[in-house]
Amino acid sequence: MLGLGKSRPVPEHEAEGEIERVYHEIRQTLRVTGVNLNFRTWAAYEKFLPAMWDAVRPNAQTRAFEDAADGLREQAVRSSEGLGRLGAASALALGESQRYHIRGALDLYHYVNPKLLLLTSAVRLSLQGEPIGEGDGRAAPEERIEPGPPGAMHSMEMESEKPKDKTVRALFGDITRTLALSSINSDYRTLALWPDYLDAAWARIKPIIGRDEYRRSADSLRDRARALARALPHPIPLTAERLGELGEDVGGIQETTERFERLLPGLILNVALFSLDWRTPEELVRSPFPAAASRLIRGGIR
Amino acid sequence: MNWREYQALQRVSELGERFLSYVDEGRGDPVLLLHGIPTWGYLWQGLLPALSGPHRVLVPDLLGFGYSDRRDCFDRSIGRQAELIDAWLGKLGLEHIHVVGHDIGGGVALRLATLFPRRVSRLALLNSVCYDSWPIEGMLQFGHPGAYRRLSATAALRLLKLMLRQGFARSPDDELLEGLLAPYATEVGKLSLIRNASALNTNLTTEVSPLLTRLELPALVLWGENDAFQPVKYGERLARDISGAQLVRVREARHFVMLDRPDEVGGHLLSFLGGAGAEPLPAGAGVP
Repeated sequence: MLGLGKSRPVPEHEAEGEIERVYHEIRQTLRVTGVNLNFRTWAAYEKFLPAMWDAVRPNAQTRAFEDAADGLREQAVRSSEGLGRLGAASALALGESQRYHIRGALDLYHYVNPKLLLLTSAVRLSLQGEPIGEGDGRAAPEERIEPGPPGAMHSMEMESEKPKDKTVRALFGDITRTLALSSINSDYRTLALWPDYLDAAWARIKPIIGRDEYRRSADSLRDRARALARALPHPIPLTAERLGELGEDVGGIQETTERFERLLPGLILNVALFSLDWRTPEELVRSPFPAAASRLIRGGIR
Repeated sequence: MNWREYQALQRVSELGERFLSYVDEGRGDPVLLLHGIPTWGYLWQGLLPALSGPHRVLVPDLLGFGYSDRRDCFDRSIGRQAELIDAWLGKLGLEHIHVVGHDIGGGVALRLATLFPRRVSRLALLNSVCYDSWPIEGMLQFGHPGAYRRLSATAALRLLKLMLRQGFARSPDDELLEGLLAPYATEVGKLSLIRNASALNTNLTTEVSPLLTRLELPALVLWGENDAFQPVKYGERLARDISGAQLVRVREARHFVMLDRPDEVGGHLLSFLGGAGAEPLPAGAGVP
């Protein structure tokens, strides 16, 4: 979501070796058609990303992780309902296909962003030395979800970070300044494929972002994500010492992780607000892509 | 009409886990316009006003093209495209339709006409792939799976523009080229187009070549005669093999014949497809 780090994020089509392997596993395990900016940014720390992923994957493939992300999504939708309606979709004369694609794009991020927050919170807590993996036993640890992106999920298609279109460039500039980003989020890059829509949606959401109730909603989401991360079923063997042994920039990684964790709740709220133009709250509190139980049993393919 | 205005006209039809984006304009005898590679339905935008007067004009983006489904998980061969188009027409309740195909859209049209003959009432082929006329060298290279890594989306776009320019008799303006390639300007679009190019397969036209002589339907073979991608000799062969087919050579036109000579091509199509105001083909139009 946020582009920080010692070097530039690694795009999916440029990934090689271990990074390519991890990207593939991320898509499969998180059930998503693309790799979000938090991972692409972490990939700039080439030893960190595989170590981090290998440490969090046992949790990320569980029903408990999926359920926890579902809970965050539901909370975000309920909070967003009180923040107002944007009305961006109805303000434009979009065609049926355009509307179909925008809805599909929003479903994709509405699904994956809570997972990103949960995972980022878990990484942050681990790097701070807090214990993870004290699950409350509500979900059996061995229950896993079926890997692979859902058949109906749209591709994670994005406008270039440096678009040719002047209007889109200006829009990206405004978004990055307002949200204090170093790089534009995947979500906004996707919505920029329909520049008129992004323009209208951003103009309407921008004033909401400054409100106290918005900030309180975002803080509450972050707190909940940390609580859910602490309750994940598996320990996460990822420490600052371990990163030091790998020769990684521990301070840079921690700073990057903390900033992602700070910004993701807002992004989840924004996608929920955008989505409320297209779907009812009752539709949005349900996972857009419910996960089936994995046919693999613990001790099978890992 | 620019490409965004065209995109705003598009509707969507879901077919199982796949979906097609398409334009559906006008009323009357239905006509299906099929684009080729590396374009999308926007290829036909110049002919839409004329054809949608007397006809209901349906212009799908083929699977993997334009704004139809472009996920990296399905077959994009012209065989699969023909099956999907047939299913889609069935969903729309269209038992018979006139089919106009260009480039690999012509390959899809040939498979529809030969393998789903009851579906096609008239067949028009414009600088179409056929027999062993394809894939062309540039597309073979583009379709190599390694192209995904070798070429950034920006580099791919530059290459495709160069390739497209060779298909025009006169240099097209940048806006038109941008529009024709707009869906492929992203990494997802690039990958999808690479997969589309990987799916180009001569066997899918040679398989139906023996069936061409058995076709019993009005057919028009219309060719930009200076096409280097699909030379006119293939059009001549089609016109010989399809009984009663008319061959129209369009002078000073290359592969993108409908963009090089829109009025002339529109006139020929209207004449062939029938409808209000259609003029008959000029005398001698059928002479190679």
